[in-house]
Amino acid sequence: MREPQPWAHSPTSQVPVIIWLLALLRVFRFWRAFVRNSGPRKSSEEALIRSTEIANSLREMHNERMSHEGLKTAKLCSMGRMKDTPPDSYDAFGFLPKTMEEALRPARWLHRNYFRVRSYGAHNIPKTGGVIVAANHSGALPMDGIMLGVDLFENTNRKRYPRVIVDHFVERLPYVGVLFSRVGAVGGSRRNLETLLDLEQLVVVFPEGTSGVGKPFSERYKPQRWHVGHAELALRHNVPVLPVGIIGAEEQWPLLARINGVRAFGAPFLPIPATPLPLPVRYHIHYGAPVDLVAEFGDDAACDPTLVDKAAERIRAAVQSLLTAGLKKRKGLFR
Amino acid sequence: MSRVLLTGATTPLGMEVIGQLLANDRTEAILTVARNEVNPAHFGNDPRLHIEYADLTRERDVRTLMNGPVRTLGINAVVHGPLHRSALDQGRGVHAMNVESTRSLLMGLQSHPTVRRFVYRSFSEVYKLEDYLPTLIGEDHPLEFSRKAPQRVRDRVESDLSVCALQGMIPCSIAVLRCAEVLAPESGSQLWDYLQSAVCLRPAGYNPIVNVASLQDIANAICHALATDAQGVFNIPGADTLPLSSLVSRFAKRSLPIPGPLIAPLYRLRTGLLRTEFRYDLNRARFHQNGALDGRRAKEVLGYEPQVSALP
Repeated sequence: MREPQPWAHSPTSQVPVIIWLLALLRVFRFWRAFVRNSGPRKSSEEALIRSTEIANSLREMHNERMSHEGLKTAKLCSMGRMKDTPPDSYDAFGFLPKTMEEALRPARWLHRNYFRVRSYGAHNIPKTGGVIVAANHSGALPMDGIMLGVDLFENTNRKRYPRVIVDHFVERLPYVGVLFSRVGAVGGSRRNLETLLDLEQLVVVFPEGTSGVGKPFSERYKPQRWHVGHAELALRHNVPVLPVGIIGAEEQWPLLARINGVRAFGAPFLPIPATPLPLPVRYHIHYGAPVDLVAEFGDDAACDPTLVDKAAERIRAAVQSLLTAGLKKRKGLFR
Repeated sequence: MSRVLLTGATTPLGMEVIGQLLANDRTEAILTVARNEVNPAHFGNDPRLHIEYADLTRERDVRTLMNGPVRTLGINAVVHGPLHRSALDQGRGVHAMNVESTRSLLMGLQSHPTVRRFVYRSFSEVYKLEDYLPTLIGEDHPLEFSRKAPQRVRDRVESDLSVCALQGMIPCSIAVLRCAEVLAPESGSQLWDYLQSAVCLRPAGYNPIVNVASLQDIANAICHALATDAQGVFNIPGADTLPLSSLVSRFAKRSLPIPGPLIAPLYRLRTGLLRTEFRYDLNRARFHQNGALDGRRAKEVLGYEPQVSALP
């Protein structure tokens, strides 16, 4: 028979037991709080009496105070005045201007000190009205979207919140999806975009989509498959398209590999970057002149797929020419 | 419409609609339907109010109602909605209350001499919530047809579509109001029951935007729909659009994010022990995904705008 260890009856040996008891107590208290609930359901006459009480009490409560917050959000909800979103109110997409302002602090630091963004042709950004900003897309993580968002906000005297359109899987990502929606990102469905354009928002799209983010280093500054939805919406809503060429982002975080089989939370692939952090490459953001597609292709062009393709190609060519001209002017990767 | 038949009058929403209709001088008569005998004094002593007893799940009762008191009183508008509120019950009886009663009423309307307006109160639950679908839910948003959907949702979709299918086919105008969830007790509100716990669990990493309505706003929307002849589907949003965690904190409860797979068994256990109404499987999608009704059509056509916050 084994002899008892000398430390077996020391006071410290009881610590695990005490921890277990405390944990059990905690679980019990949580459970009691969790199951505390209203009584069983009623029916018939009782239900009527209860309904009368509820209706009367709610009526009295709301007659006493017409909630200012309720009225504010009511207007947001009926989508009449979403562009005037108060800083402490959420819109239907989950955008909260206050969070946006807070998130801008670290993003602004990256914009100024890490990527040292220089922008050209910022006078082309429309100060009012709906506009679609179409840019090239790259980088293992979409830092170009964040930098472009900060740059647009700064160049519109902090008056226009850019609404960046993101792929559907982004909304599904835990924590990231919530953060993105609070800072104004919106899932890329047609109706979402139409709503934003109806509300005269500054909508940022990357027509390359995720194929741009996952392009190999050898394909840098060569726009990948260029989706046409932005051109069709611009034609349908008669809003200008602002072509933007982002230089620097395509070298910031070269991809070592992409694993296509891993589809965590619906992401199309898992990027394996070559460096642990993005390289401090200097960004050059070139804004082109706004393109009025309706003036170029006609009022009914949105209904003609061939013209829509041509309109999208027109935007792609504008972005490509901005990239080509910008690359010629660039003196070096980090300069 | 000045002479109204109202089903579900014993619910808080029914009481609120009656209150708002009686406050309007143009209302000439309200006929309410109750299943069992109730004391009329609860409805007030207004002579314009009439109570009839009928089981709307029985077609014969509906026929008797439509060809009897409805015709006698010259009722020209009907307000109806799915009658069963509990999310726990299932089976044919529940289906009859939600779907068959609607069908029977619609059959009764097909050649009715007096009724010219049918306002159907539907629910935002009928809409499908997926990340690839728009966040702002319009009237043309896809409906929830999943085979895995609980009976409560399937019944409501079926009932909603039964009404929609008859638009333009019967001699009365039909308005389908797809309403945001009413945040009030005894209203079949899942969120209300969810908020009764001192600790409210939500999936970690997600904090979706929800839109909730007050009783007054939904009753107001019904009154607006009664005041026009506009036909079609209308989304009726509430005044409060906020994240789930903010909703919980507004009710002075504690929001506890835990891994999603743990939530369903915990709430199942809670329901099993206490017969509480909240079912996580009914709410899983909206606990992960933003979604708010787009009320622009209701504003333009019905003149409805949410006014009253449902939050404490």
